[in-house]
Amino acid sequence: MKNVIRGIFFVLFIFLFFTTAVKASDINVSAAASLREVITTLSANYSKIHPDVSFKNNFAASGALAKQIENGAPADIFFSANVEWMNHLKDKGLLDKKNITTLAYNTLVFVGKPNPNIKAMQDIVMFEKIAIGSPKSVPAGQYATEAIKKAGIEKQIAGKLVMAKDVRECLMYADRGEVNGAFVYRTDAEQLAKNVKILFSVPQEYCPRVTYPVALTVVGSKKAEAESFYKYLQSSEAKEIILKYGFMVK
Amino acid sequence: MPEFSHSDYLAILLSLKISLVATFISLPLGFTVAYLMTFKRFKGKVALDVLVNLPLTLPPVVIGYLLLLMLGQNGWLGKWVLQPLGIKLIFTWKAAVIATAVVGFPLMVRSIRTNMEMIDRRLIQVSRTLGASRFDGIFTIIIPLSLRGIIAGSILMFARGLGEFGATIIVAGNIPGVTQTIPLAIYEYVSSPKGDSLAMALCSVSIAISVIVLVFYEWFGRKMIKRK
Amino acid sequence: MELRVSAKKQLGKFHFSADFEIKGRKIGIFGPSGSGKSTLVSFIAGFRSPDNGSISLDGETLFDSSIGINIAPEHRRIGMVFQRSQLFPHLSVKNNLLYGYKRCHAIYRKIKPDEVIDVMQIGHLLKRGVSNLSGGEKQRVAIGRAILSNPRLLLMDEPLSAIDESLKLQIISYLKNTCDVFDIPYLFISHTLLEMRIMADQILSIAGGYVKGMVTAEELARGEMRNSGGYTNLLNFTGPHRVSDVYEYRWGNQDIFVANNGGPPATLFELPARNVILFKRHPGMVSTRNFLKGVVTGIFDMGTTVGVELQLGSKKLVAEVTKKAASQMDIKIGLEIFAAVKALAFKPLFRSREP
Repeated sequence: MKNVIRGIFFVLFIFLFFTTAVKASDINVSAAASLREVITTLSANYSKIHPDVSFKNNFAASGALAKQIENGAPADIFFSANVEWMNHLKDKGLLDKKNITTLAYNTLVFVGKPNPNIKAMQDIVMFEKIAIGSPKSVPAGQYATEAIKKAGIEKQIAGKLVMAKDVRECLMYADRGEVNGAFVYRTDAEQLAKNVKILFSVPQEYCPRVTYPVALTVVGSKKAEAESFYKYLQSSEAKEIILKYGFMVK
Repeated sequence: MPEFSHSDYLAILLSLKISLVATFISLPLGFTVAYLMTFKRFKGKVALDVLVNLPLTLPPVVIGYLLLLMLGQNGWLGKWVLQPLGIKLIFTWKAAVIATAVVGFPLMVRSIRTNMEMIDRRLIQVSRTLGASRFDGIFTIIIPLSLRGIIAGSILMFARGLGEFGATIIVAGNIPGVTQTIPLAIYEYVSSPKGDSLAMALCSVSIAISVIVLVFYEWFGRKMIKRK
Repeated sequence: MELRVSAKKQLGKFHFSADFEIKGRKIGIFGPSGSGKSTLVSFIAGFRSPDNGSISLDGETLFDSSIGINIAPEHRRIGMVFQRSQLFPHLSVKNNLLYGYKRCHAIYRKIKPDEVIDVMQIGHLLKRGVSNLSGGEKQRVAIGRAILSNPRLLLMDEPLSAIDESLKLQIISYLKNTCDVFDIPYLFISHTLLEMRIMADQILSIAGGYVKGMVTAEELARGEMRNSGGYTNLLNFTGPHRVSDVYEYRWGNQDIFVANNGGPPATLFELPARNVILFKRHPGMVSTRNFLKGVVTGIFDMGTTVGVELQLGSKKLVAEVTKKAASQMDIKIGLEIFAAVKALAFKPLFRSREP
């Protein structure tokens, strides 16, 4: 009996090694939540051309991803929804400085139940609850917070803001009717919103351009497949796919 | 020690407020359930026992989700009772109180029950021969003799409430100043690359409060033993 | 006090059945353990109900299954004293005592706290918590508490069973005196013969879940003779009205002398029947201090011996003699006879207070 138990433990132990073994031709991608569908398509397409390459895609708020990478999470390529988190990693020396570029652009919008009276930032102060991504880690929330401040409605909005862990959760709160409205990206609203629609776009004066930088990490720069994929992202085929999902490339 | 922002102080106050309120509103129902389970025999007693203890074994997020389904706009309570009355619970501090109360309820009931079961039934019989109605007996005999369990249960529930996260974030959301308790604030900071020092600071506050509550719980327990 | 009980109950394999009517103030319920005594008590108090039947006290129906009456215990005004005092641990002695008194309607409050405290001699315990009391003190407080609720009937379920042997007499003296002083009718349950004889005039005998019948204390004593190793007289004297080297009491219309052993004088005594010596003729000088004249009114078989019941003035006494002695002396009913009892033969129990 003792020997049987010892045997089982031995087998389980071996399994541990197998499960933690990572294939060399895996590309680890960390990307902003709003890029979920476009990255999934891009990586699928790339895999068709290079069948021996597989992807591990990790989607979350850009700030949260930056923290993960900072703490040693494996990432070969990092897509951020703002420049701040990319710079944060660059300053920590975790990025291949030669391989940072801008992938796409987006617009910040406000979604809610169809309502002709909500046309601008000032109109939303009458709502009871508004969802934004947590500005401590979600770029969409950072953009929204800045817009709120610039529009001068910060005080009226206090206590009404529901913090979401990423921009998709934001949209979900609005879609489920748990909040009256949410600040999300145009692409999220157009792709996924079911019960809410875009009530207005946040004007440029309140919100700078939503920029998606992409970079190879130091770890990733040592992987040929990762570098190859990074180059693929800048191809015309990739640009077409990005445009198809509603992002802008210029 | 880094500077706490206004919403950090609010988080600490909210944690205390929500836990206290949840504990207080649970007391009458918790006492009643403990009383029924200890002294009464009825059909469905086992079912009630399972129901009351369920939150102990369920993951808090499950509890939160079930509460959301029940109390939300499309939930059966939400649609047929709350909305017509104009009551909104989801994403308010009341929802946070409800979530905290549900999660901590079994702790209170168990504590009171353990104490109640030690009460000699003969004492209640005696009180009735001396002219006390059942109700009178509850107030003059059962409550005083269960006080130890009631207080211990309240302290335990309060302590558990301070740490409530899973159910709260689902049904009350993370709203600074309104529902953002210490655990929710820490959660936000932990996701942020720049939030480590504040996360740690809030953790220290949380630990400090827990230590104080537990020390009090132990002291209270010893005091009760000495009295015996 | 008039109590009517007609009750049947099935408890698993145990079947309980009672149908009796008692009139009186000092009633006993006698029987071995498991005979159904406590079941009967719980029916009268109202904690359990018979399957069918009826119970009425002083004409008021407490329970009737046919018309659906079942008065709650708190409204029956029946007090209880249990084997274990069951004092409320979270209340002081004083608040324990007053618990029932406070809940007693003002019109029924004939017995006042000071009186009970005085009779029970518990004044010095009032401020104490109940955990600091001895077993005997606890039971005295429990009795006081029950009495202060001014019940119309007091049920006592083996109140002395848990008391130390050495204290039993003391507690029963408090019990008897209190009930005498305050004139409370009671039902006293016990399996001890002496306790029953002290407390009860009439006794319900119960066994195996059935009430077997009603006897007097004397009849019970005679019936239990074989189990208790002979018959013991239980005697109540008045006085003493003179004290020297002996206590001089009055018993009916004669004087009785009891040895003075230095302790406070009792009024209730035990006298084993075999310590009574019979004479057909006056022998002249006698060494015993008590030499009484009487008539034989009864003779009964006690196995190897014979019990001779004597009428001495207004009182009765039983002597025990061997069968041979009885036939040799030709003891017959109606025979004039002399009984000699040493002053030392009486065993003092306690002093009872006259109401």
